[in-house]
Amino acid sequence: MIENNPTPEAVYQRLQEMLAREADVAGSPVDAQAVGRYGAFIGSVINSHDSLPRAMDHARSLIEKTVRAGSSMASGTVILADTMTQSKGRFTRNWFAPPGGVWGCMIHANTFLPQSRSFISLATGLACCEAVREVGVEQATLRWVNDVLVDGKKLAGFLVETYTEPVHGEEFTLVGFGINANNCLFPADLVDSSVSLKQVLDEKINLPDFTSLFLARLAWNFGLLYHEEAKGLKGGRFSGRDGRHMLLQRWQACSDSVGKKVVYGFDVMTAPDYQAEVLGVDDDGGLVLLLEDGYKKTEYSGEIRYLQP
Amino acid sequence: MSNEIDFDELLSKYKSDPFDYVDVFAVHTGRVTFKVVEGEEVNAPSGEWLQVPGTQLYEINRERNPKIIAARTNGTVAKIHSELDGQFVEAGEKLLTIKHPLKKKEIIENILKEVLLLFPAPESAKYFFAMDIQSRIDKKGARAVTIDQGEEILTMSLMKRDTPVYYQGPRGVIHSIYFKQGVSVAQGEPLIGICAPEKLPIIQKIITRVKADWDTDH
Repeated sequence: MIENNPTPEAVYQRLQEMLAREADVAGSPVDAQAVGRYGAFIGSVINSHDSLPRAMDHARSLIEKTVRAGSSMASGTVILADTMTQSKGRFTRNWFAPPGGVWGCMIHANTFLPQSRSFISLATGLACCEAVREVGVEQATLRWVNDVLVDGKKLAGFLVETYTEPVHGEEFTLVGFGINANNCLFPADLVDSSVSLKQVLDEKINLPDFTSLFLARLAWNFGLLYHEEAKGLKGGRFSGRDGRHMLLQRWQACSDSVGKKVVYGFDVMTAPDYQAEVLGVDDDGGLVLLLEDGYKKTEYSGEIRYLQP
Repeated sequence: MSNEIDFDELLSKYKSDPFDYVDVFAVHTGRVTFKVVEGEEVNAPSGEWLQVPGTQLYEINRERNPKIIAARTNGTVAKIHSELDGQFVEAGEKLLTIKHPLKKKEIIENILKEVLLLFPAPESAKYFFAMDIQSRIDKKGARAVTIDQGEEILTMSLMKRDTPVYYQGPRGVIHSIYFKQGVSVAQGEPLIGICAPEKLPIIQKIITRVKADWDTDH
């Protein structure tokens, strides 16, 4: 029996609840209904499985099969699996996906402008962090680019990969997600650096409910990217303070990276490059770092690890 | 790649004028204020991570947002359009030219860039070889790796979004690699230089000739 089987209706219901809350914010420059319309396609199709080798690979073959059959792949399709047997993180890292977690992938037909594409990773981590806070883990934070941490331990990680289907050459973004929810056992090398919602809340969460909440947040954040694009195309300023992009403003409100001493590297685990202090995030989402010699450097790729709690 | 390579012409061009002339343009519209004068020496970015900016060349101010543009190469300011100082300019307007002295290695690279098929970076991002290509390079060396049209050769990484890059061009071997893993490459800059397998000896001949004709590194 499949444990994590949320419905599109449940995701839509969660999104509507969120829209109602956002619409109540007096003087908000964000048109909540428009954001909802832009993002509502996410989770409109959900395929739940008891086990898959890897959700991203499954997504690629599903897209190819669909287009070869002469159909269009539904953008916003979500693939979920209760367990994954060959999941992996970035580079050659393993990702452990036993029963109890939220493991899967969302397929997005890429209709974003280039600047918004750079924000997909930020939007995904933010969706998770916001959902985790909403279920009571208020201390959840974001570490640039999109690691969700609770008390310094990693609760969730994401992979964003592009796939061009072979028939018409349409480009898709595959948003892979792994959220430690009710799973409490980790491999020996991850046990000190990983944590799950159940461990933090001291109780099991309802997996389909939480997944619906996360997908609704993802729908909101993708909708926000389209909303800000529309504002920009009309020549207006973005919706955040001082015309800042609203997604960046919301991301920064959830992140504790600014002010931290960090080690930076493209693959920081195997090849750390240098130590620095995080000064901020620029308008493109790049991480502005102050190096030990007093000079600034902005990174648009790679990852960081904190040197202090 | 050109079939006819006139070595003597190529070499004499660099012998008579061993410089690159790097034009510097307005990065966007705005009011320009020059920070250098003609004949002034300028420095390229330095430091282990190129974190130390180069010499300030000009400031451009749009809607009270000033931006300093620094040199990306070392050399001497050969020509400056001083009539534009304090004026509003369009994006892409040529502002000055830096005369950059070429080293032997740069001359070889410049010549190779003229004769190799260059595969440019589709976006400003960091790049790494696709796993299959990397393992073939690790085993045999890049110049033993042949790539075909449509083959996935690289992964482009920007803000933790990984995009496969497919090779577009005639079959060839990876002769030159112009990027380093973890270092950003600007859009349009070459990532790799490709050469038809049967033309590898010609390329080697060019390198040998330049090495023999230039006694010093400068």
